[in-house]
Amino acid sequence: MLRHLGADDRSSTRVRLVDAALACLARQGIAKTTVDDIARTARLSRATVYRTFPRGKEGILAAVVETEVARLFSSLAVAMGEASDLEDLLVAGMVESARQIRGHAALTYLLEHEPGTVLPYLTFGELDRLLLCAGDLAAPFFARWLEPDQASRAAEWAVRIVMAYCTDPAPDADLTDPVHTRALVRRFVLPGILALRIDGSPSTRFTSSNRPPTTIKGAAQ
Amino acid sequence: MTSDVRERLLQATYDCVGRWGLAKTTVEDAAREAGVSRATVYRYFPGGRDELISAVVGWEFSRFFLRLYQEVSDAESLEEVMERGLMFAHRALLEHEVLQRILVTEPEILLPRLTTEADQTRTLVAAFLAPYLVRHGMTEGPDLDGTADFLARMVLSYIASPGRWDLTDPGQVALLVRSELLAGIR
Repeated sequence: MLRHLGADDRSSTRVRLVDAALACLARQGIAKTTVDDIARTARLSRATVYRTFPRGKEGILAAVVETEVARLFSSLAVAMGEASDLEDLLVAGMVESARQIRGHAALTYLLEHEPGTVLPYLTFGELDRLLLCAGDLAAPFFARWLEPDQASRAAEWAVRIVMAYCTDPAPDADLTDPVHTRALVRRFVLPGILALRIDGSPSTRFTSSNRPPTTIKGAAQ
Repeated sequence: MTSDVRERLLQATYDCVGRWGLAKTTVEDAAREAGVSRATVYRYFPGGRDELISAVVGWEFSRFFLRLYQEVSDAESLEEVMERGLMFAHRALLEHEVLQRILVTEPEILLPRLTTEADQTRTLVAAFLAPYLVRHGMTEGPDLDGTADFLARMVLSYIASPGRWDLTDPGQVALLVRSELLAGIR
């Protein structure tokens, strides 16, 4: 399909503005960031900003969230796509998302200085929504090894674990560390997923070698 | 006597928050509600409104966990404490009118104050679970500490956001407990 030259222009302007907004948020948070700041950082005019985002700052912030979620999922898809068994899939997905979340400069700034702007989206009913969405998005990766219902629950659980550790970080519970995450996956997650099989449905393939996870030992810490 | 006044002030502040919300409750409101002077409020809470609001969030939080503790402290096994605790805590949160209203109207004020308590809460829940893990056959040490920490994180997560689990259904709670919570615990 042919695309208008203008459409590409608009999308690259959009990306420039989103990235400029991210830089501003990481430096000074939401309250202090103005449309002028974002325009200056992007080296674009105010008029261009409002042509791309007629709602101004509010529209840019919505685009920031949308873009960052899409970026997170595409990096997760790459990390998880390379996994050759369920254990590797869980470790890759959890480590990659923990790294993206903990290493996100704008999110880190907001959680520290303006937590009220972010936490409502990461707790209680909104976390429920996020768990359902993220679980649905991740489920197809799990479906290679699990029954559909088990895949949805397993995917949701993995997302839940990442959120529980990222919103309440502790030095001895760091999911960005693959060694730690693998131990956690072997110890709790694989046996838990096995037990999610309610009805004794037929062979559930957990690893490439078809090894039941309950026999994996020595992963306590 | 002094703790009486403090308790009375916290209860009065809580009542005001229930009526007017976190942002609109003032030192004057709390003083009037408790039947004390403004000066008395400042004697107990020198930081004024801000300190009073933080204190009342912490106070109600502790009361919630005390009720939860009383509800499950006679449980005999790890499975039982998990199942009863999840069901009670989830129902209590849903039925907590002040919390539910503020989550809709002023989450940006409440949630940062709740998360500053996250570390302490998790430690509290983990310490409560540790003896049940010992009774379950684990020996004390880093493995038990790590397991209690994991379970505390999970329990707190499910209580506030059950996702696709229905925590009012005993069958689902039993499955949740024996899969995502306890399957990995020897």
